[in-house]
Amino acid sequence: MMTFNLLDEVLYMPSDVIAAWVLALLLGPAVLVWITRQRKWPVLWEYARTTNHRKVGTMYLLFGLLFFLRAGTDALIMRTQLAVPQNDFWVFQGEKYNEVFSTHGTMMIFFAAMPLLIGLMNIAVPLQIGARDLAFPFLNAVSFWLFLAGGLLFNLAFFLDSSPNAGWTAYTPLSTDTYTQTAGNDYYVFALQISGLGTTLTAVNMIVTILRHRAPGMSLTRMPLFAWATLITSFLILIAFPVLTIALFLLMFDRLFDTSFFSGEMGSPVYWQHLFWIFGHPEVYILALPAFGIFSDIISTFSRKKVFGYMAMVISLCLIGFLGFMVWAHHMFTVGLGPMANTFFAITTMLIAVPTGIKVFNWLFTMRNGIVRFTVPMLFAIAFIPTFVMGGVTGVMLSVAAADMQFHDTHFVVAHFHYTIIGSTILGIFAGIYYWYPKITGKILNRRLGLWHAGLFVTGFHLTFFIMHITGLNGMPRRTYTYEWGENLLAFNLISTIGAFMMGAGVLFFAWNIYTTHKSGEKASADPWQGRSLEWTVASPSPEHPFEKVPIVDQRDAFWYAKQSGRKLQVEKDPRPAPIAVYTIQPALMSMILLVMSIGLIYNWWLLALICGGFLLLMFLWRTWKDERRSLYEREEPDE
Amino acid sequence: MFIGFLDRLIGSMISIHMDKGRVAMKKILLLFTMLIVGGCQIRTLDPHSQMADDQAFLIYFSFAIMTVVMLVVFSLLFRFTWKYKETEKNKEDVPEEINDNKRLEISWTLIPVVLLAILAVPTVMITYEISPQATGDSTSANNNDSANHVHVTAERFNWTFEYENGKQSKDLVLPVGKSIVLHLQSADVIHSFWVPELGGKQDVIPGKEILYEVTPGKTGNFLGKCAEFCGMDHALMRFDTEIVSEEKYRRWLLDE
Repeated sequence: MMTFNLLDEVLYMPSDVIAAWVLALLLGPAVLVWITRQRKWPVLWEYARTTNHRKVGTMYLLFGLLFFLRAGTDALIMRTQLAVPQNDFWVFQGEKYNEVFSTHGTMMIFFAAMPLLIGLMNIAVPLQIGARDLAFPFLNAVSFWLFLAGGLLFNLAFFLDSSPNAGWTAYTPLSTDTYTQTAGNDYYVFALQISGLGTTLTAVNMIVTILRHRAPGMSLTRMPLFAWATLITSFLILIAFPVLTIALFLLMFDRLFDTSFFSGEMGSPVYWQHLFWIFGHPEVYILALPAFGIFSDIISTFSRKKVFGYMAMVISLCLIGFLGFMVWAHHMFTVGLGPMANTFFAITTMLIAVPTGIKVFNWLFTMRNGIVRFTVPMLFAIAFIPTFVMGGVTGVMLSVAAADMQFHDTHFVVAHFHYTIIGSTILGIFAGIYYWYPKITGKILNRRLGLWHAGLFVTGFHLTFFIMHITGLNGMPRRTYTYEWGENLLAFNLISTIGAFMMGAGVLFFAWNIYTTHKSGEKASADPWQGRSLEWTVASPSPEHPFEKVPIVDQRDAFWYAKQSGRKLQVEKDPRPAPIAVYTIQPALMSMILLVMSIGLIYNWWLLALICGGFLLLMFLWRTWKDERRSLYEREEPDE
Repeated sequence: MFIGFLDRLIGSMISIHMDKGRVAMKKILLLFTMLIVGGCQIRTLDPHSQMADDQAFLIYFSFAIMTVVMLVVFSLLFRFTWKYKETEKNKEDVPEEINDNKRLEISWTLIPVVLLAILAVPTVMITYEISPQATGDSTSANNNDSANHVHVTAERFNWTFEYENGKQSKDLVLPVGKSIVLHLQSADVIHSFWVPELGGKQDVIPGKEILYEVTPGKTGNFLGKCAEFCGMDHALMRFDTEIVSEEKYRRWLLDE
């Protein structure tokens, strides 16, 4: 802790924040100089104004990875603090530790996992279904910039030493201003609100794209499963995120304007838990389903076979999505909702295991009788199956309501949800990045480094989290920064810490892989994996205007069977007009105004907020009366 | 065709048990036994009350059923990736397409349903029995005169226990073999009362009194913890629990 005297006010600054400032002040100018030297400003300016799905997707991936590194560093800080009993690592005890795990959870879910998945959807889905861009390219750019504004706002909190400190779940009344007065949880509210808006708009965009812009002949039942997963996920987002929006608004009113939705005579802190988990549980499937889709495509490609039980796969996606809305109270078995609610939600939770099990067996039987090629994406898929199954079985154990009262809020639960989220989402993202990297950059990631990445990450993962089941059963609650010598927890925690650093090393290999591939990677052909779906018919990297000639799809995996019989896919002579790409700075501008407006609201600078609100309204009006498609309409219908 | 396939499937499963998978199997079994044998050191598996005992049973029972699931999946995965891996010889082959198999698909839908149904029975029974209720509901606990009542107040970051004769303490002292009703109340945010050896946790919610019933079955000393994140020193919000004989408890109550 350091103290400054500034304008007669005493300013406290913890040394980790100072370190971050120093680092930023050193690195920032260095990066600016480097950009200038490399003459990269025009590229940046182009990307800032682009609406192209691949470029927007690439930005999603880049910033998602950046935030992933930040949140991963938080994880390593936590594991270092917990390595031995009664540890005093740097400043990370008490409130500081609480800030670290709150940031870790929130960042990983909303600013790493979500944008990385959405990035992959952006890049792959239009190419997989033969669309020439997302249905609403402008809206897509708006979504991205809203995510980035939310992410920047959230990270700004750390630099101002006011990180959120009520956990990623922000349970009331702890998260109300009665108990956490600093601006931290206001940052949480506004950062999630802004990025959540972006996510909701993406869902709309994906649904319309998939329903309206498929290539001729590509009926819904001929779509690759990643496209299907994206469609179902988008519907989940469309239903679940508005609930979060409402919950955040209520919390905002409680914090800023002294309402009492979550406290006092009329309100109840338990309302927050209901709202949060009605959003939060579907969110788990919003993270998992796209990964399921990615793995389905990868396993099928690298087994040289169609997906086994395609219809069963689609139906179980739908069922998981549907059941996902009926299980939220299994996060609340210890609240005291009563025996009726506890058993009801125990049973519905168990039911989800059935469609999930169907998917697992279908993946296994896709490999059966095939020719399994151990590429890096496939290795991630093979690691995914046992990992996710272990997360699934502990999920069933947790659904046993009476036993959950022992598991709840211990490291057993921490182990469980890392098994499911890392097992599916993060491994899925890694697999997807290796798999579609040729479409993103035109190069193929190095296999040897990829093996190091996968090996270290997966081994480290199991070392960290398998042992945590036992740590939890032995009485270690989550979100605690210390434990005592006599508690018989040292060995477990130390092993977890070692494993965490192995995962960190794995991620470094990944970063190194991206760097060397960028410098001197091998160029990829259009179809480097002997692919099955339409994205492998276009060049690598995917061109700005793919499918100049729109292919006609005559069956599932049409590209594969065309290759097998040595013919080319037929081409539609009179295709639907493509969505129109524009270069515009408006999306970035709107989002940054929203960011400044949020800062105004957080610090009660009402005038600033009002001015920003006015500007925002003007931008909306400007956009409302401008339609880049008008010239096209006029060309098509000259009489009117 | 199906029969032949099933034969091969079962054959392959058995052969896994016989050779390649033997080491892996042994490891998993070893782990399983370690968990059970080591149970006396694992706090949640070292029950000192009927409730904790029931919960430990559910933990073992669900783990046993889930072990079956894991073994099936792991052996199939190992088998398929091993048997069907790409070699120099089959590199250019195009495998025969088998895209569905009604009987297999029905069996891996129905067998999990049956396993879950088996698990659901004790789950529902025990959950119904031990789910606590807020006061105001008609509860047997309130009418149970022979029970000892202790008022528990959670406040950031400590616990206060008030006994029937008005004695207050920072530690929880309870007589063995007597029915205890804890009246859980919070003075500020949500906390959670947890002594793993006595049973699962119960959230303590402001503005509400929740009754937590437990009958300690054996004497002992245990660490109790707050298990719902409550702010700065959540990690330090602990208390000692002492289960003592009844006369010792009486003496302790009268002790100033």
